[in-house]
Amino acid sequence: MTVPHDCRRCCVNRRQCLQYLSMAAFGAGTLLPSLRLRAEDSGQPAAGDVIDPETLRPQPEVRLAAAFFEFPRPYWLGWPGTTYDLDAHQAEYRSKLDESVQRLGITLAAESQPISDEEGVSAWIARLKEQQPHGVLIMLQHIHCWKWVTRVSEEAQIPLIVFAPVGTAFTGHVGRGSRLPRVHVVSSLDWSGVENGLKMVRAKRMFEETRMLWIRGKERNETVLERLGVKVRAIPRDTFNLEFDKQPVTAEVQDLASLLRANAQKIVEPTETDTVNCARAYVTAKRLLAAEKANALSMDCLGMVGAKLVPTPPCGAWTLLQDQGITAGCEADLYGAVSLMMTSYLLGRPGFMNDPVPETVHNTLIAAHCTSGIRLQGFDKPPADYLLRDHSESALGVAMQVLWPVGEPVSLVRFTSANEMIIDTGIVTGNVDTPPAGGCRTSVEIKMDGIEDCRDVKGFHQVVVLGNHRRVLEAFCELYGIQHVHSPQFSTFAEGSAT
Amino acid sequence: MRISVLLAWMLCVPSMLAAAEPGVPLISPGFSPSHLDAAGRLVEDWGTLGVRLGGEGIVDAAPAVQAILLDEVVRAAQAIAERGSVRLVCTAYRAPVFPLGVDVYTVRLEEVQNREAHVTLELELPPEAQVGAQAVKVGRRSVLALPQEALADQDLRDWGYCDDATSLKGWGKPQGSCDPAFRNIRAGMGGVPIVYRFRVTPRSQSQVVLGFCESHWAESGKRLLNCRVEGAPPQTVDPVAKWGQHKPGALVFAARDENGDGMLEVAVRPAAGTADRNPILSAVWLFPAGKAPAIEEIVAGKRSASAERYVDVGGDNDQSLFPPGNVEYRVALSPGEVKEYVFLAACTGGDVPVSTGLTWTSQTLRKAARDVWRDWPAETQP
Repeated sequence: MTVPHDCRRCCVNRRQCLQYLSMAAFGAGTLLPSLRLRAEDSGQPAAGDVIDPETLRPQPEVRLAAAFFEFPRPYWLGWPGTTYDLDAHQAEYRSKLDESVQRLGITLAAESQPISDEEGVSAWIARLKEQQPHGVLIMLQHIHCWKWVTRVSEEAQIPLIVFAPVGTAFTGHVGRGSRLPRVHVVSSLDWSGVENGLKMVRAKRMFEETRMLWIRGKERNETVLERLGVKVRAIPRDTFNLEFDKQPVTAEVQDLASLLRANAQKIVEPTETDTVNCARAYVTAKRLLAAEKANALSMDCLGMVGAKLVPTPPCGAWTLLQDQGITAGCEADLYGAVSLMMTSYLLGRPGFMNDPVPETVHNTLIAAHCTSGIRLQGFDKPPADYLLRDHSESALGVAMQVLWPVGEPVSLVRFTSANEMIIDTGIVTGNVDTPPAGGCRTSVEIKMDGIEDCRDVKGFHQVVVLGNHRRVLEAFCELYGIQHVHSPQFSTFAEGSAT
Repeated sequence: MRISVLLAWMLCVPSMLAAAEPGVPLISPGFSPSHLDAAGRLVEDWGTLGVRLGGEGIVDAAPAVQAILLDEVVRAAQAIAERGSVRLVCTAYRAPVFPLGVDVYTVRLEEVQNREAHVTLELELPPEAQVGAQAVKVGRRSVLALPQEALADQDLRDWGYCDDATSLKGWGKPQGSCDPAFRNIRAGMGGVPIVYRFRVTPRSQSQVVLGFCESHWAESGKRLLNCRVEGAPPQTVDPVAKWGQHKPGALVFAARDENGDGMLEVAVRPAAGTADRNPILSAVWLFPAGKAPAIEEIVAGKRSASAERYVDVGGDNDQSLFPPGNVEYRVALSPGEVKEYVFLAACTGGDVPVSTGLTWTSQTLRKAARDVWRDWPAETQP
């Protein structure tokens, strides 16, 4: 499915984006005749083949069934009470639901009338079983309707979001409901909780419709991850560098390279050729994704750089992809890439997969790598400042040092398997420069929340994302049967080693 | 186009057979094939899985084996045999489950004479196969995931393990004089529980002692074990914190056959939040209620001979709750009824996924195969 191009998703501004897309439409022939000739002669990609990154993002069909559950009218005693205006509230929530599904691209099948008895519940469950929507939304309008929630959960066995506006539930209802498998309870008046639930359903569908290129080794095969349904297509590592070699310096490449330099707060090491190669790597990755009908990638980049197969590590290119919602993972770390997908698909912003370093003097965690996204606040939000640097371990190519906003909350996410996710949170306290530090170009210092000792932070290659999203991530896990774990609150070093 | 795929698929099979391949190959792009042989058996690198049908009205008949396409794209094999009152249809395809795939073997029984049929369906397993709680093992590999109905029909021994854990002889390095059982363990690799069941007088009480020796971790806080013995409060233990590395130790439980089924259950699982999710267990002793000797004497190995039951877990006197042999299902079919049993078999070099629970369903397995075949580039089709 082709989606209209959204310039806001680009790493460039709207005017520049339209400019180079229109150049692409005309083949950019007048600008790059020599390159066009080269392409025609050698079977290289044509100079005008610009791939809209939006078309690389999975665009799944998402179907939602929704209904109000109410008790027979008129209400008399019992929550929400006689004074609760059922018609007005249902009109309000219907309107909000319509807006949400439109915003999220979800197809809605809403019951036209509230369901108010056992027969109605049975009939709806039968329809759900037949239609098999991807998610179900129940909007409660009476505290005595919870037994029907249990029925729908157990009999339909479809991921279920229960909206219990304040006045329709006590602690026991919410607790018991939340412990049902495949159920997320939103006990609130805040509609954003419901919309987050709908985003969870959409994110799960995006996982299911994602094919990830696993670029490593020499094998070509395809498998599917349990629970999440992500397809993993392994392709030989050489595929990337061979395609990179074929990639000419197109107008798109030149424009991107110029923009990378123009928008940088400072250029430290990279030359113009480095930025051109960075943009070539980006375009190569897009071509490869399109050719393989894939939506994400994770590559054995260090092996490739170590073997000196490419003049540039892909770090800068991966930053560009990440900013456009295309997961690009490092070091062929499969679940690292899946964790990046989590922030992209559910939270709508790039994550930063990193090597964690405990800073024991300040008791902080330093998250360090070379592929942080720039649009930290969201794909459609203004970018953060960055410096153009090289990949520090090899002193090659382009890697951004992205300056994370000090004082802002962050979340750390890591799938350890398809069945478990580590979730922690913290506050950015600084950006560490290299030098004096070694390691990686983007190094974000984080004061962890609720973790006594920074040495206890769980995980490796966990993904840092701007904002405190702990509740949403936990809810996603609970909705889809994924165990969520956290780093220990109290120091495990306090008692010393038994040896 | 799909017809051409099917034709190409069916045409290539005779040439494979002519090349001495043992039947219809089961493939997924990029992986070594297994086969459905001429007798309708699944042929894997760990052995052969077949089904034997018995009972009134069942006659012998050789199956017709052919290559088929499922959902128009998934390459599969099917063996159909008219066995008198029942038609036996065995269908197999490769589901591309990460990382190596699994073969999905569906056995379908159709009553065809419009009368009730009572038949036995016996799984023919390799001689060295060991049946567990959810899966069959050959050596340390979990090679076949079983539908849960399998266990209900099986004869059981008086005691033994009924889990999918692994026996590791000589893993423990106990220091000091102790029972020899501390040298061996069973380990629940990937977080699977270690479970034993002991036949007891229904509702009776016992004293159960569990022995542990941590020989991997030197630091505390790494492997926390949650121990549950039927009828007793659960206990969580960090063996290194409690006794130290390589130091044998034991926990005592006042057990009771709480559900009255005449079997006392003992289980060791990874505790919540543990870093190492592989539970371990070295020994089990059963003593009459209230008559357990001093724990130091048990750990020292001085009371093993007098225990009602003494298990050197993972060692020489250990055993499965399930006797060796094939798994058998007793199937009742009403007139015209159809029943299906789905088995997941390990492919070359792999295991079946049991450690995290089977999150796959028949539908998601088929979708995975469909998605992969649908988009696999034609020029690189196997």
